[in-house]
Amino acid sequence: MSETALLKVVAETKLWEVFARRKYEEPLHQVGTIAADDPELAKVYARSIYDEFSWVEMVVAPRDAFISVIKP
Amino acid sequence: MIVTEITEQQALFDLLAALADNKYFLGRRYAEWCNGAPTLESSVAAAAMAQDELGHARALYPLLHDFPQAQGQPTEFEPETRTQFCNVAFLDRMFTGWADFVAANFLLDTALSVIFEFAQESRFESLRGRARKVLLEEQVHALHGEGWVRRLARTGGSVRGTLEAALLHTWLETLCWFGPADDVRGKLLQQGGILAGRPEELRQRWLEHVGPVLLETELAQMLALEQDAGRWSVTTPLPWGRWDAARRRLKDAG
Repeated sequence: MSETALLKVVAETKLWEVFARRKYEEPLHQVGTIAADDPELAKVYARSIYDEFSWVEMVVAPRDAFISVIKP
Repeated sequence: MIVTEITEQQALFDLLAALADNKYFLGRRYAEWCNGAPTLESSVAAAAMAQDELGHARALYPLLHDFPQAQGQPTEFEPETRTQFCNVAFLDRMFTGWADFVAANFLLDTALSVIFEFAQESRFESLRGRARKVLLEEQVHALHGEGWVRRLARTGGSVRGTLEAALLHTWLETLCWFGPADDVRGKLLQQGGILAGRPEELRQRWLEHVGPVLLETELAQMLALEQDAGRWSVTTPLPWGRWDAARRRLKDAG
């Protein structure tokens, strides 16, 4: 696979926000961001990158699904 | 002519050795991409999957020590000092590119997991006990393999071409990995309650895992893979003449 072709693949990635909680009584909170091409890979990357705790729940949400209320 | 009668114990020993060696080499090959994968995310995933595979190998090698075959040559059953490995031939060498990683992840990693699926009720407690944890971790590996096959396939052009070449390189040996339909070892393992199916059933289960993605991405035809009435079949003959049943690998694979 040429480097150019690889870069084309990489350029297709979209951003996902990762939310998790360590205890059931805690709310989900944002733990980080990942770049992934599809939901399945986003799940894999979220699990492997943000594995510092034994989370009881983790979810990912596409960044472009967010609706801005107050813009920075 | 020397005829060696295969026993259930020998069949189990050969299965465990092949599982351990393939897990060990898959882990090593994954680890070689910890800082070379196309994205930072996939590099971290490669590192995590390498850790998992090496962990699975570490959990399997000690099982070999209890067999008479391992007595008197303990160094032969530690991965660092072992010389007679039973891994598939395409893991002998480093992956030549990311597509090789994806093909091994999608095809071989999934094939190894099928053994654990069929060992969840195994009479051999040590294998049964390891199956649940392995399968839990392998769910993520399967998602990674499927995700990257879809991604490289839909990119098209030379990227898809590289994926096709990598899948073709890996396909036949992985299909053979479960053994021929009349395999003596496979029959003994099923009859002895070690695995809950014979080679053909294991191969069918594996095709049920990988087949839908290959159909969806229009890669099935290239691999001569067909589905009819819910049953998967490969229309090209498998290279059993080159199959080393004891070591579960193709001879002279090049």
